[in-house]
Amino acid sequence: MIQHLLDGVLTGSYLSLGAIGLTLVMHILRFANFSHAELLSLGAYAALVCDALVSGLAPFLTVKLAPLSLTGALIIAILISMVLTGLSALIIDRLVFKRVRERGQELSMVFASFGMALIIRNVIGLIFGLSPTLYSRDIAFAVILSRDPLILVKPDQVFVLIAALALMFILHLILSRTTFGYSLRAVAENPSLAQVNGVNLQRTIMAVWLIGGGLAAVAGVFYGISHQLIPVMGRDLVLPIFAATIVGGIGSVYGAVLGGFIVGVAANMALVVLPSGYTPSVPFLLILLVLMIRPHGLFGEARA
Amino acid sequence: MSIVRTMGATVGLAFGISALAGAAHAQDCTTKIGAVLPTSVDWGRPIAETAQFAVDQVNAAGGAAGCQIEMVLRDTQVDPKVGVDAAKALVDLEGVNVLLGAVSSGVSMPILTSVTVPSGVLQMSCCSSSTAFTGLATEGKTGGLWFRTFATTGVQSAVGAKVAADQGYKSVAILYKNDDWGQDMARLIAADFAAVGVDVTASVAINDAQPNYRAEVTDALTSQPEALYLALYPAEGTAAVREWLSLGGTQNMILANSLKSDEFRDNVGMQYLGSALGTDTASPRSESADAFRAAYQERFASEPNGPGLANSYDAAMIALLAMEAAGKDASGADVAAAIARVTDPDGTAVSADTAGFVAAKEVLASGGNVMFQGATGNVRFDANGDVSAPAVIWSFSDEGTEEVEFMSLNDVDAFMASLK
Repeated sequence: MIQHLLDGVLTGSYLSLGAIGLTLVMHILRFANFSHAELLSLGAYAALVCDALVSGLAPFLTVKLAPLSLTGALIIAILISMVLTGLSALIIDRLVFKRVRERGQELSMVFASFGMALIIRNVIGLIFGLSPTLYSRDIAFAVILSRDPLILVKPDQVFVLIAALALMFILHLILSRTTFGYSLRAVAENPSLAQVNGVNLQRTIMAVWLIGGGLAAVAGVFYGISHQLIPVMGRDLVLPIFAATIVGGIGSVYGAVLGGFIVGVAANMALVVLPSGYTPSVPFLLILLVLMIRPHGLFGEARA
Repeated sequence: MSIVRTMGATVGLAFGISALAGAAHAQDCTTKIGAVLPTSVDWGRPIAETAQFAVDQVNAAGGAAGCQIEMVLRDTQVDPKVGVDAAKALVDLEGVNVLLGAVSSGVSMPILTSVTVPSGVLQMSCCSSSTAFTGLATEGKTGGLWFRTFATTGVQSAVGAKVAADQGYKSVAILYKNDDWGQDMARLIAADFAAVGVDVTASVAINDAQPNYRAEVTDALTSQPEALYLALYPAEGTAAVREWLSLGGTQNMILANSLKSDEFRDNVGMQYLGSALGTDTASPRSESADAFRAAYQERFASEPNGPGLANSYDAAMIALLAMEAAGKDASGADVAAAIARVTDPDGTAVSADTAGFVAAKEVLASGGNVMFQGATGNVRFDANGDVSAPAVIWSFSDEGTEEVEFMSLNDVDAFMASLK
């Protein structure tokens, strides 16, 4: 029980990171971006390539930072991957979403995002193959916290949790303490009025994609460290991330964080009450439950 | 006929065949048999060609039941609807009494229940392994018309239980893929473990396409088993096993044949797979199997390495032998009943080729029974139309996999009987 709770919190950390980006995009650009989870794969694979590059250029960075399975090279790779993924999100917006946004309707955007998801997933599959890959083949063993009840924690996952919380705190500071944060929120509230007041709409949208992509890259790498890299990981993650976003309330960064942890814990606790064959239904049930009680999500607000 | 047979045996097979082919032209009747196989997928076509190969050999021996045999082949596209339509057309329009196929259990099943059983047609599948057929046969719903030359998943689960017993594991947790095959395996292996006195501490379904399997693995782990049984495919198998090992789970693992993959070995890591033992069914190590391999190579200029080829050959050959035994104008039920006469362990041994078919004709005509020694060994059906198969226990090695133990058909049968 305690183990499931703990695992849920650890799983929740990368779901939250993914959900933050999604909730920002959904709120500010006003469309359900089904390709957001693919940015996680993109980031994870970009880090895989960068990791190999950095390791090749600077072999001294390949030493593991015990007790983590993480290497210095991978940490640098994560930073590069954040930038690359953010830029990719921008390019995708330029090439596809921007054009659809200008001519199409909200539904066209949703379909375009489905298409984008398929393209990204299959391109990754074409390049890296469909089998799972790993940052490190060595298995990072869990540390026993308690024998009765048996509680195990992997050092990597604790790092993931702390790093995720730190990133969220930085984002919180940016959103609440800077002019940029205010302009972001203003655009979300009312794009036209924000423009009238001198907020550069294009630049804000670019910033949203950069932040969303960057956080998605970190989430993807954290997922890869905790589990494995596989081209279909975006498909597997899209539902929990959407659930986290909707549960938290679209547009609310804090809601997304909480939503991620709720979905992670619920998915892990599900086995306590449900037979193992039925656990994939948990995110759906959560969405239904929250929408019935609070139609706008836990932290969401009705929008005119 | 005895002169011809001596010729076939002494002068050489090729000459024998041409002499027999000459005799065959004297017949002016043709009996049609049906085949519903997935010829539109790359591995399905060789299965159909192998069945046709058997038909050609029988025709060279003068056909079955006094007539030349024509195999009418229809594609299933691995789709139950297409398969049922094809089977229906063959039975209703072509009037076949014998139907070979299909490959997938999911296609064979609706054909059996909605076409062959209602029309009283013999159905002989080369490749369906689901134990659902065994269940149907036990309930008497196949009317004795269903046979298959492919071993059920029961063989693999029995061998899995043997591994656990041999290794002295007292308790095992099961992780299984949540699909028809995995559920079947989990159910069978749990019963087999119970039969050999191994405690099943947990049986956890692993769903496809989940972000992670932490909760499932934790569930199996907290039951503290001595070993882990895995009926998974490589993708989720790798994820689950790495999670399992990282949480301090035992390296004592028993693997289904689906994990016999380099991808799984490389991603989990050889250093953790030293005590992992796998199970698989195997082709028999008998002269008749070697003879088939040689004949196949001569005919197709390649090794019979695709799935179900030996099984397809035997399915066609046994069906035709049974037609011969049942005689002219026999119904599907008659042919089905005659299968026992051509797979009789006490009967005269006949080989799987033209000469063997000629010899079988003679024995059957004089009222005797024959034992068909085919590409999959001495085929023997049980009351449900199921066959058993030899098995191997394997382990991972640096090069791939290596054989730990080979279990002959008799060993497998004896062990499975001991589980009952």
